[in-house]
Amino acid sequence: MRRRNRRGWRRWINGPSIGAILIALFVLAPMYWMLASSFKTPSNVGASPPQYFPIPLSTAGYRAAFNDGFGGFIMNSLIVACCSTALVLALGTFAGYALGRLPMRGKYPIMVSLLMISVFPEIAVIAPLYLIMRDMGWLNSYQALIFPYTAFNLPFAIWILRNYFLGISMSMEESARIDGAGSFRTLWSVVFPQVRPGVFTAGVFTFTACWTEFLMALSFDFGKKTIPVGIASFGAQFTVPYGAYFAASVVAVVPIAILVLVFRKAVVSGLTSGAVKG
Amino acid sequence: MATTEIPARDVAAARKPAPSRRARTSNRHYARVGWGFSSPALVVIGAFTIFPIIFAVVLSFENVNVTAAGFSLQGATVGNYHDMVSSGLWRHALWFTTIYTVVTVAVELALGTIFALVLERLSGGRGIMMALLLIPWSLITVISAELWSYIYNPTYGILSEIWHAVTGGSAPNVLGYPLDATIALMFADVWKTTPFVAIIVLAGLVMIPTEMFEAAEVDGASGWKTFWRVTVPLLRPTLGIAVLFRVLQAFGLFDLPYVLTGGGPGTSTQSLAMLGYNTMFTNIDFGPGAAVAVSTAVIVLILCLVFLRAFKQQVGKETISA
Repeated sequence: MRRRNRRGWRRWINGPSIGAILIALFVLAPMYWMLASSFKTPSNVGASPPQYFPIPLSTAGYRAAFNDGFGGFIMNSLIVACCSTALVLALGTFAGYALGRLPMRGKYPIMVSLLMISVFPEIAVIAPLYLIMRDMGWLNSYQALIFPYTAFNLPFAIWILRNYFLGISMSMEESARIDGAGSFRTLWSVVFPQVRPGVFTAGVFTFTACWTEFLMALSFDFGKKTIPVGIASFGAQFTVPYGAYFAASVVAVVPIAILVLVFRKAVVSGLTSGAVKG
Repeated sequence: MATTEIPARDVAAARKPAPSRRARTSNRHYARVGWGFSSPALVVIGAFTIFPIIFAVVLSFENVNVTAAGFSLQGATVGNYHDMVSSGLWRHALWFTTIYTVVTVAVELALGTIFALVLERLSGGRGIMMALLLIPWSLITVISAELWSYIYNPTYGILSEIWHAVTGGSAPNVLGYPLDATIALMFADVWKTTPFVAIIVLAGLVMIPTEMFEAAEVDGASGWKTFWRVTVPLLRPTLGIAVLFRVLQAFGLFDLPYVLTGGGPGTSTQSLAMLGYNTMFTNIDFGPGAAVAVSTAVIVLILCLVFLRAFKQQVGKETISA
């Protein structure tokens, strides 16, 4: 990190700060456009030339979105994402511990296979899963998404958690054992608390992935639409759908943006774990 | 159980020559515990990823008949692959997906590196900037696709307005021409994903020891020279990871063209994943659809192995097996 000591106005107005403002504009301008358009009146959404500021403010887009069952899409997304995240964390923590700390044969091939599965294109499993779920009567049910989401997000979660388990010290675990705590108690009260940041990282990543997933939700669950499928299907039902699109988009973006911003450190550590930890 | 327990680190040490009987028993005990702990996760992963992948390969070599009652396999065939390879649609989708991947990843890598260099030199407010960069990353792709379709709209889109203000003419219908639509898709992708690349590169950048730059400065190297001779070589592992993730992700491209262009105009922006989806769900042709899906997966697998190899050679095996 090279930081020059700048004085006077140069402290505030310099190359990097101007660059940062340009980057912020690049990121925020389309987001502003979405927010502004969500509050335009139905006729102003389609105005030409476009309105730069949503005056008068209108909530017609929001009402249209919720009249078309957007509340139900949110419920579906929440149920699927929460169940999948809970399953991933429950299964992933034990697997991460085992693959990180216990002497198992074949750990290396398992970890490499997990790495490959985590980048595998979803389209490869759509045909078989659709046909099997159709035979089992699983289509348009929550479990049709919860199980595939759990399976697709577990590999990354196991990698993250394993890295954390490798990084913590053994001494506390040993002294807990000497004090006579059983295996499960040791794990629960001594080992797991130390990997809490890893659990947050894995949890935020899984939740975000489930919240944004489109292809499987579109293929398996047209009866129980999640938010992305619901928003994509608005078009057929509205004369001027953009107002409802953007209102729905703002509602869908806010919770995930808050989640990501609150757990910013966890997310950044997850994104960069590949680069930093290998 | 408590009597035979010894810490796992000692267990690992005991695996080396001549372990005592006690250590061997407990080693086996811990291995059993390990399999017990990891098998629920591995079973779920196997049932919902590995088994379907194998089954997809089977389907791609079958005449699959789908009726209201269920599906049946009606004999092995290589016809699905034969038809696929000789179909102009598949070849175009392969070409489009490849070009799209190469161009977007190259642009995102260059732009993301510039972003990271700017943010690294920033004297304050880097936390806020990182938070900003996370917003497009966490955005649902379907939403960003709707947003860009609104921006690109020829009648009331802001792009037409800007075009009109700058050139005086009326803007073309961006999504109406194959080349324009491709560029429009790429731009939307660059907007959403460059921040992700910037975060990864920034993390690599702050890990480079300051002395490296000081030494270059003492030697009188120019900023440009320092960048190419010091920064880029030291960043190479980081950039490698960013490229790997981006290439594999871009190759599975589906959401963005599905919503933004519908693969159009015509089938000019149809990606491999979209072609697979349309073959399965529009034409109800699961055998040929599976063949397209498997072809996508095989290409990704090959890319993955090539990357892993290149990566291993670069930074040594311990980075992957650590």
